[in-house]
Amino acid sequence: MTNTQVPNSQVPPVRSRPATPPVAVRPSVRDRGARLVAALFLAPTVVGIVVFTVVPIIGSVVLSLFQWNVIDPPHFVGGANYRTTFTDSTVLVSFRNTLLFMVLAVALQLLIALSLALALNGRMPVWLRSVFRSAFFFPLVLSAASISVVMKYLFNQDFGVVNWLIGLVGIAPVPWLTSEHAAMATVVLVYVWQQFGFSFLLFVGGLNNIPKEIHEAAALDGATGLRKHLGITLPLLSPTLLVATVVGIINALQVFEQPYVLTDGGPGDATRTVVMVIYERAFEQLDFGEASAVGVLLFALIMAVTALQFRLSRRFVHYQ
Amino acid sequence: MTDSHLPRRTLLRYGAYGAGAAALAGTAASWDRLTGADIPGRDDGSLVVATLGSAFDPATVEALTKGFHRLHPDIPLRVNAVQAVDWSDFFAKILTQIAAGTAPDLVYVATEGVQLFAQRLGVSLDRWVRRDAAELREYFADVHPSLVESMMYEGNLYQLPMEFNAADMYLNKQVLKRAGADFPAADWSRDDFTALLRELKRGGGSHFTPYFWTNRLWGGVVPWLFANGTNLLKESKAPGGSWLWDTFYPAADRQGRGGGFRWTTPQATTDRVEEAYDYIASLVQEDLCTRPEGGNGNNLVGVFSTGHVGVTPAGGFWAGGLQQAGMRAADYDVQYFPRWRTQRHQFGAAGYALLRTSKKQEAAWEFIKYAARKDTMTRLFRTNQTTPARRSMLNAARYAASGPAHWQVFYDTLDRFPDTGPIPAPPQVAEVTDVLLKYTGTALASPRAVGPALRRMQGDLEQAMEREV
Repeated sequence: MTNTQVPNSQVPPVRSRPATPPVAVRPSVRDRGARLVAALFLAPTVVGIVVFTVVPIIGSVVLSLFQWNVIDPPHFVGGANYRTTFTDSTVLVSFRNTLLFMVLAVALQLLIALSLALALNGRMPVWLRSVFRSAFFFPLVLSAASISVVMKYLFNQDFGVVNWLIGLVGIAPVPWLTSEHAAMATVVLVYVWQQFGFSFLLFVGGLNNIPKEIHEAAALDGATGLRKHLGITLPLLSPTLLVATVVGIINALQVFEQPYVLTDGGPGDATRTVVMVIYERAFEQLDFGEASAVGVLLFALIMAVTALQFRLSRRFVHYQ
Repeated sequence: MTDSHLPRRTLLRYGAYGAGAAALAGTAASWDRLTGADIPGRDDGSLVVATLGSAFDPATVEALTKGFHRLHPDIPLRVNAVQAVDWSDFFAKILTQIAAGTAPDLVYVATEGVQLFAQRLGVSLDRWVRRDAAELREYFADVHPSLVESMMYEGNLYQLPMEFNAADMYLNKQVLKRAGADFPAADWSRDDFTALLRELKRGGGSHFTPYFWTNRLWGGVVPWLFANGTNLLKESKAPGGSWLWDTFYPAADRQGRGGGFRWTTPQATTDRVEEAYDYIASLVQEDLCTRPEGGNGNNLVGVFSTGHVGVTPAGGFWAGGLQQAGMRAADYDVQYFPRWRTQRHQFGAAGYALLRTSKKQEAAWEFIKYAARKDTMTRLFRTNQTTPARRSMLNAARYAASGPAHWQVFYDTLDRFPDTGPIPAPPQVAEVTDVLLKYTGTALASPRAVGPALRRMQGDLEQAMEREV
């Protein structure tokens, strides 16, 4: 097997400070011009992020300290909204549901996407590969709400096609959307069906970037099948896997359309997610303060999970 | 390059960039472009009326606008059809407009929002109704007092009802024929209803469900609670309102009327409520009815018209829906909700609410009067997508094409059962609805879940009702 790593003895020692003191160099006019041009190009994005992301985040944090029902002026309540949130069983259940949903959806999404990407990476006519790629990616460009409406019909216990199909092989109708146990599974299935195309494309790109020589060298050394994937493909694909996992988790923690349309959070609270609670508190119950508090907590959760992922990635992600 | 002197060429180039940028900025600033002030109806002095977008088609809205303009050429009118999936969604969008400082003058509000709007946003119509009593006498004579009472809050009138829908029972006559079952009598009982469902089940296939219902405030569990002589929240009447009843209604119709409904103490754990839930649970266990599914019942028209469902609760709005779905008048019919301890029905009504923030309240009142005229309502409710609040508009001609044969049931639900009342919709209606739907789903999702679910429902309802809106 070809060793691509540089032996430690060959790595030059790293100096803590440069040997000579730095010389203060005034940037040239050309440098200043280039910086100005760069700043001009960046400005629209920065302004967009500040106006549409940073300001609303700060606004939400501020609003979470107020009681505001749209009709009357906001009234400062300090941390009361957070205290209510921590004792509100619906909010707590929605966090539990969202975390469960995230684990199930991301695991299933990555498993399906990776399996299909590996399968497509094998020998196959180019046109057929294109057909499969398009087919797997297609659901992602559709509206989640529209898909959920159609899926609601398909998974209807009494009149749905799914129960009709399983009925053909003698299986009793399943209450896909009206049973506490089946509803979450159905929401996960619908979500994964639509979302796995993104991870799939990432994995296809990542697999294409793995040098063929490494696989050939591994084959010469006798590595085959699963061993080759576990020992070579997965480590070399780990940066892609990290990106797919981070994006997948962030998206899953913000799931809304599928449970809202399919089950409206039910039965009971079985499929109620955090973003649904934010919507209900703000736009149905006119409690924008509590809605903001829940939003801030969700933001903190997403930041924490993402930070944890990047920390873990230092140990598990291998860059070539 | 470390030279700090600017070469001439560089200077010229950046000078050209600067001039170009200045020219671009100047052009952009002077460009004739759209701003927020260009949004139709905003700040142009028009009277703005917000309606639920799907309620009226564009041609109807245009006819409404032109008719008003002919009558009041001095009042510019703008009808803002807000697209929303249901009343809750509609109210959310209206409140967002209010928060944005672009509140309409009038909002079309259904029972679900009457008390919320009355308490926080609305203006009582009392002074105008008193002033124009002679003009309105004909309107009140044509509208059932129960509908009017449902638009009152704490003794004051906030809306003139334009339309309503009571939960009656629609029956697919093809399904009845297939099962060899008779059309039920007007005074059929809950047991007759159960027996009919069993009969239909025997005559239907494996993909047939005798009774379909949607888990929502209107037409869900509430009709069964009413039929069992109870309600989700303790119901009483506010004092007052005699000024209206004495002015417009004969003595017989004034009996028991007050200043509007009050819904206060939750009573989810009372025997009658539990009994109603147990009954529906037994229907679910026996495969006689669907499990509670949320939503607006969009898929119901399809499954009913194709014979996959035999019976479902709906109002006059469904006659038009079924006709659009291709059902012939002879294919279905309507009957009252079955009798249990009572045969009290539930309904929802809608009308225009005048907002406190409106600076054109006199003009808005003129629009309300215009909208309540029979000729206006006739233009507005051409198809049977709802039940007009005026009794005289329900006639054989209206239902000749769409059916049902027993169209009299729609208004007789009020005339024959004078205790028929509105769905429970206190100012905290959003939370109450959320709690109701949530625990109805839990109660009927698995066997023996009714008791625990209702106990949790009671706790959450108590919390919801304690909250100040």
